[in-house]
Parts: sequence; structure tokens; C-alpha cells
Amino acid sequence: MPATPVLELRRLNKSFGPVQVLHDVSFSAEAGEVTALVGDNGAGKSTLVKCIGGIHPIDSGDYLFEGAPVHVNSPRDAAGLGVEIVYQDLALADNLDIVQNMFLGRERKRGLVLDEATMEEMAAKTLTGLSVRTVHSVRQQVSSLSGGQRQTVAIAKAVLWNSKVVVLDEPTAALGVAQTQQVLELVRRLADKGLAVVLISHNLNDVFAVSDRIAALYLGRMAAQVRTSDVTHAQVVELITSGRSGELGLANGDGLNGVKA
Amino acid sequence: MMRAGPSQEEIRRHNLGTLLRYIHLHGPTSRTVLADRLGLNRSTIMALTAELTGAGLVREKLPSETGRAGRPSLVVRPESTRFYVLAFDVGVDRLAAARVGLGGVILDRREAVRERNGFDLDEVVATLAGFARQMLRKADADTVCVGAGAAFCGVVRRGDGLVRFGPNIGQTEVPFGAALTRELDLGMTVSVANDANLGALAEHQRGIGTRCQDLIYLHGDVGIGGGIIVGGRLLGGEGGYGGEVGHMVVNPRGRACGCGSAGCLEAEVGERALLSAAGREMSEDLIGRDAIRAIVDAAERGDVLARDALHRVGDWLGFGVSNLVNIFNPEMVIFGGILREIYLSSAAQVRSRLKTNTMAAAREGLRLRTSDLGDDATLVGAAELAFTEVLTNPLEVLTRAVAAG
Repeated sequence: MPATPVLELRRLNKSFGPVQVLHDVSFSAEAGEVTALVGDNGAGKSTLVKCIGGIHPIDSGDYLFEGAPVHVNSPRDAAGLGVEIVYQDLALADNLDIVQNMFLGRERKRGLVLDEATMEEMAAKTLTGLSVRTVHSVRQQVSSLSGGQRQTVAIAKAVLWNSKVVVLDEPTAALGVAQTQQVLELVRRLADKGLAVVLISHNLNDVFAVSDRIAALYLGRMAAQVRTSDVTHAQVVELITSGRSGELGLANGDGLNGVKA
Repeated sequence: MMRAGPSQEEIRRHNLGTLLRYIHLHGPTSRTVLADRLGLNRSTIMALTAELTGAGLVREKLPSETGRAGRPSLVVRPESTRFYVLAFDVGVDRLAAARVGLGGVILDRREAVRERNGFDLDEVVATLAGFARQMLRKADADTVCVGAGAAFCGVVRRGDGLVRFGPNIGQTEVPFGAALTRELDLGMTVSVANDANLGALAEHQRGIGTRCQDLIYLHGDVGIGGGIIVGGRLLGGEGGYGGEVGHMVVNPRGRACGCGSAGCLEAEVGERALLSAAGREMSEDLIGRDAIRAIVDAAERGDVLARDALHRVGDWLGFGVSNLVNIFNPEMVIFGGILREIYLSSAAQVRSRLKTNTMAAAREGLRLRTSDLGDDATLVGAAELAFTEVLTNPLEVLTRAVAAG
């Protein structure tokens, strides 16, 4: 019997006014796996992520966490469940150091004062646990870090809170080759440590390098969610650009899944 | 006459080795956990640790905090700074040496760039022995060297460390093991093995594959080496030459290979193949990892020639891995050396090939990973090779080492 997915969305719908952005979208992420979310611009990836993160309330459909239906109406609800989202802009404070960033808004206190020692130790432990060797001191200002290091800190921040699901929005965009490769290995390590990782990426090579499953959105519908080992690059390109590939994908190429307009 | 069962003495020696090996690989462990993992009762564990403590190989300490009620179980720790081995690595582009303590801690290390023009045995051995002497001088007086091992980028004979063939250094029949043993003059033989075989061992014991019993490690240098672990054991073959997956033919009409054949995985995927496909023939200043990175970088920036070269190399790599998956059904394939970079930047091609060319059942549980130990994989493997003897027969080897030292 397959394990229950940590995160499961069933027949999710989301409209902005008259525009329906997500149409009966089902999606799941399992512990220990990297699930890649791919799709063309405007396919609904960002909206789906914001629904997962509680930024957009869903119109209809089920949000299940560890098999139980939940209501996620705010980012705080999502964080409470253990769902962390690392957005493209990373939302790190440049003027603070790594420890301060990792604990921003959730500082540890000992009595009335901040427990700097414990926070520093936890931050260092998290980075070591992820085999991060590129950051020399956790007291470094974030403004002094490279793009890859910032991404690393943002990801480590998400992991620090015993999260169960980490959603990464284009983590390798704007990084050089060496840093991209380090971040890809970090993504893989997160899943190998038992987290459910959702990776949003435009770069299919990155997707093939680290993912276990691929979910392809096409015009607001889930064209297919497949095991990466069961598809070729060409098939995924077809799913992204036309919503189907051979037996896979939406029943007819118009994205209406057999429903006649 | 039929041999009787193992004697008490043999069992004791076996148990001592097993316990020490466990501590060596897993670090400080409490007696309770040891009893559980090794399937021995607590009084046996106590007797064994007492003996190892007596020899100075391990130390027992109360844990700092247990968070549990009751008398805490003593924690057995390896004496990492007292007992060490010397590990060496001869790659195409570098020579490395390290002093590695019991428990796998790198205590000291030296490295030098090796020029690609030619191979002078005396020079290589002198450099490595020089490194060893520097490190031995720095070591404290009460420390003991318990073994020496070397990784070599060539086909190595089991037993005497004779390098039968090194296609990428243009040598045959190099008595490397004997020469290094003589030059070091430590009263112990230097064990030598193929570098990728040792990389496989290292990833299996200390790297990303610690929980896998069936894995294949692929090491990219100028050539492609491989190490195959089946059921937890390294596949050696009759003479120790097994696992040379770099010379598996993937393209019968392919490029000439340094081994004399054509279309070997190494000829289609190695550094030379990638450079030539990208129209960047070997240049003096840009070789090895930097050259590969430059191609990946160019491909990212839209250089179609570089992109095409990566795709082509990824495709051949996919053929090679597909064959291995169909034959061995590994749980994990690990890409090390420059294959890390090549896999990460051509994964779409590699995995598309796997989907097309492997049986679904054989690839079902397969995980593709990059090396956890990185450039240290072969050196760490050499250290593990050097530890083999002391972990098999701790007390006897120790007595011998102390006498020699």
C-alpha cells in the first residue's frame, strides 16, 4: 500500500474574478521525494504555490495534510502545519546576519533576553546537517553573501522549523553553474532527509537531475503527475506545451480534459 | 579431515574486529547499542571493550547527558588521534596524501598538482613519500601508524599493487605498490587498489550510499572508472580488475579509446570527448573540472555547440548507466569526480535514456545521486583500505605496528 502523501490537494479550483486560474487541480507531495512542478508561464504554478502557502484561499477542493483535511487560510496556518515556502525573492533581511535571519520573527528567548547562544548553535547545526560547507560563519551579514549562499540560508531557514513540506520557487534561477549545482544537491539532500520537497523550475535539466516525480500544469489544469523515471525529456516538454504526450496528459489537447466547451 | 568449527580464539578475534569496525564507521556508540547492533550480550561487549581499551584503541566515557532515567551506558569512542593510517591518491591531475585517524578523521593532508606529460614512477613515489614524512614528523610521539593504502588511476593487481595498465598516464606494468612500500620503509606493505573501486567503497561506508547494499560508483577523471558494490561487497573479479565500466563499449563505431578499443564509455563521455564535441580541444591551461565547468557555463549562456556537446555526452552516459542498471539492478548510482558536473548538467539526457533503455522493474527503486565525499572519495577509500587489516585483527596488527614504529 502506498504511503499517505504528506500534502495532497484534490480538485482544487481558484478564480480571480471572472478568470479561472486553477481548474480541478490535484497534486500531491510525498515525504522523501522531490516533486517537480513544471508548466509554461501562466500555467498556474505560482497560484498553486500560493494556495499551498495559504496566501490565496481556495474556492473549492480539498487540502489534505498527512491524510487529514485541513483549512489553510493564511501563511501562518501553513507554517503551523509545517509547510514552508521559499520564494524567488528569498525575503532575507540584508542588514541582519544569518542567525538573525533564520530566526526572524520567531526568536528564542531565555527569560526576557534573546537566547543568542542557542540560536547560533541551532543555525550552525542546521547548516552542518545539510552539509553546507560554503558558509564560513553564521554571524556573517546576509548582504555579504553570494546568490547561492543566500539561497542556501533561505532553504536552511525553512528546514530549521522541523517543517515537513518545503516548496522552492525557482531556487536556481539567477545562479552561476557551480552554485546551481550546489543548490541542486541541497534540494536532493532535503528530500533524502525525509522532507517532502516541491521544486518549481523552468529548467527541465534541473528537474531531471533531482526529482522523483513531475507534475505538469497546462493552462490551469494538471496535465499529468508522473514518476520521473517513467518519462523522457521530450514527453515532459510535450506535457508542458500541449498538455499531453501520447497516452499521458489531458484527454484532448485543449486542456479541457474531455469536457466539451 | 574435516575442520572443526572456529576456535574460541578465532571467535574472539572476529568479535574484536567487528566491534572496532563498528566504532570506526559509526563513531562513539554506547555499550547498549553495540550489544544490540552486534547481536552480542552485554558481558561479551564489556569484555571486548575492556580488551580494546587495554590496547588503547578505544576509550570509554560516561555520556554527557542521556535525558533518561537509570544508570547511563558507557559510550565507546575510537582513539582517533592516536591510531592512524596513511592514505595516498594518484590521480591523473593530482597527487594527494593524508593521515587519517581511527574513525575516519582526516588529521592532516598534503596535495600537489600532477602534470599530464608522462609518468615518472620514481618522482611520484618520492613526492608521496615526502608528504608522508612531513606528516609523520608533525604527528605526536605516542601515535601509531597501523596501515597504509593507496588509490591509483589504473588497473591494479590485487595482492601486490602492480599497476597493470594506466591508459590515461600511458603506462603498463608499473610496480607502484612495491616502490611506495620500499620508499616509505615503515615496516608495512602499502595496499593499492583502483581509485574508482576505492571511491565506491568510500561512498558505501562513509558517503551517500551508507544504507545501500547494491550501488555503483562512477568516477570521472580524464577516464571513467567504476566500482560496483553487490550485496555490500566490492566486486573484484578474478584478479581484482573488475568494475572497469569505463571500458564498456557503448558505441561500436565510436571514438578510439586509450585502451585500444573504440566507443568505450570513457571514449564517449570522458573529458576528451566532451572537450572535442564542444570544439575545445585540450588546452594547457583549461583542463579537468575547470574545463568542464566552462562548457556547462557556455551552454547556460546559449552556446549551442557547448549545449549540443553536453547533450551528446549525457546521452552516451545514459546508455552506459542503462546497461549497468539492467545488469546489476543497483539501488543507487553515484556520480563522482567530473561526472558530478556532467550528470547535473545533462540529467535530462541521462534519465531519458534510462527510461527508454532499461527494464521498468530494474530501474524501479533506482536513485541517481552525486558523490557526498566529492574529491575526497578516492582518498577516503584508500584510508579505508589501509584500515582493513587492523579492523580484521586489531590486537595482532597493533602489536606489530608498535614494534615497527
